Amino acid sequence: MSEAQLVMRDLELVYPTAGVGPLNLELSPGGNLVILGRNGAGKSTLLRSLAGLLTPRSGQVSLGGHEVGAMSPGRRAEHMAFVASTPPRGSALTVGDVVGLALEAGSKSAGPSDVAAALEMADIADWIDVQLDTLSDGMAQRVMMARAFNQAGSMVLLDEPTAFLDVVGRREVMHDLGKWCASGKSVVLATHDLEAVEQAGWANRWLVLRTPEQGGSLLLDEAFNAQKARSILTGEA
Amino acid sequence: MSVRQSQMVLVLLMVVFFASGLFSGPAQLDWSAEWAALMGRGDATTQTIMWRLRLPRLMMAAFSGAALGLSGLLMQTYFRNPLAGPSVLGVSSGATLGVAMVALGGASLGWASRNMGMGSQVLGALLGGGAVMVLLGLVMGRFRSMTALLIFGLMVGYLTGALVTVLQAGADAGALQAFVHWGMGSFANGGWSSCVFILVALSGSIVWTARTCSQLDMWTMGSLTARTMGVDERKLTWSALGTAGVLAGLVTAWCGPIAFLGLATPHLVRATGISGRHSKMLWSVVLTGGALALFADGVVRWAGVPLNAVLSLVGAPVVLLLIMGRGPFGSAGKTGARL
Repeated sequence: MSEAQLVMRDLELVYPTAGVGPLNLELSPGGNLVILGRNGAGKSTLLRSLAGLLTPRSGQVSLGGHEVGAMSPGRRAEHMAFVASTPPRGSALTVGDVVGLALEAGSKSAGPSDVAAALEMADIADWIDVQLDTLSDGMAQRVMMARAFNQAGSMVLLDEPTAFLDVVGRREVMHDLGKWCASGKSVVLATHDLEAVEQAGWANRWLVLRTPEQGGSLLLDEAFNAQKARSILTGEA
Repeated sequence: MSVRQSQMVLVLLMVVFFASGLFSGPAQLDWSAEWAALMGRGDATTQTIMWRLRLPRLMMAAFSGAALGLSGLLMQTYFRNPLAGPSVLGVSSGATLGVAMVALGGASLGWASRNMGMGSQVLGALLGGGAVMVLLGLVMGRFRSMTALLIFGLMVGYLTGALVTVLQAGADAGALQAFVHWGMGSFANGGWSSCVFILVALSGSIVWTARTCSQLDMWTMGSLTARTMGVDERKLTWSALGTAGVLAGLVTAWCGPIAFLGLATPHLVRATGISGRHSKMLWSVVLTGGALALFADGVVRWAGVPLNAVLSLVGAPVVLLLIMGRGPFGSAGKTGARL
């Protein structure tokens, strides 16, 4: 694919009302983007707009040349997966079921051997018959990550996936994301976890969402630097 | 026991309950006479009892139980709430009001009292249940949460209950008796034609559910995850609630507002260890619902008590166990039942 995979064109979000755009950005296959911003800055709104779940106030989001809002949910699911900050609770599905459904959603083959292979790769093969609901937050989030990786062909959007994880869990998630980038998957990550991102070392493009009053949004094309990010966020830059 | 094996057991149970219902009854008929009548021989009275009374009643019980079980499964999955059942959306309440308007209101106006047949009662139930479904469709966009939708069903229940009370207060004794009788629930009210209606709806719903299994599975992980896994939320909402509503509405029209069967059937299936994937649960729920209804109908015939009394005596403890997190129904009360 020569064209850019994900394109935001003059994007203005429905929230926050003060506006953080217009956002213009192209993310090529295998590229990454870290989205920063204070609480209520519009990180989740941006991710949902990229996923085609929210209609932007103005402007466009397109994936491989198609506007995401106009794609069918099935088509979108083949290309993009989404990881929320909390793993789902109350479902009786097993870990094997979850990953099997992800393979199905990405319209890949989903026989027992495919599921086993996917679990093996994510290093969670022992949990195949364990109910997702019985796992701890950290373990369940690893399953949700494996689900996302196996579902989407090209891109994974993550909304603060480490918000409820301990230090080791955070490090593992960020490390995994680096491996995904290396394997050619695009990663779009919204997070408050500056240190863990810097430590993982793969992030080389970041977007700080700010209202015009705060100086407007900033796009930086450089290796992630936690200290710099912090000073931008606190307005001390 | 594997899923297949447990389903074989359920089929066996259904056959046993069905046969015992077919070859027993207040008429105290001779076994050989019953068999001859089934084969189309023997005297006309026995043939009538077998072909007009017992067979359609048992068929009605089996199909209705299956339909209510499936309706309950779909509702519990859609609302991600283990206490959801066919009556929660207000469909049964709407149907009850429809029947009350025909049976009580019509009678007190004098225009339907002479010819209060099953036909107008069924029409009333379908119109009442349908009206609630349409109302639901019109206001659904305003609801921000599933809880709001559940409360909607509850309030519709209160409103229709109030109107029914008003109608009851002004009704004559004969109409009131017929209405109260309908409210007690019975599988004996329908005939062959009603069996066909419910069988068609049930078959269609089974086919739809079988084709939508994966999407329903994804839905149990929350709407955000489901939508990003390819589920069309709008389409799933309409088809799941529509299917569950039509099944519950049809059964209510002929059999009355049947208590607990839709709510308890999926939980009984989960208690036997079959849960999670809908492809696994579908046939178990359908068969368990049918078997339960046949069993309850047997108790009704044996003890001479109304169907809803039997079902409430069994169903209420099941729900209590469920919310207290005891017994085979797991830890639902503490952590929320896993659907």
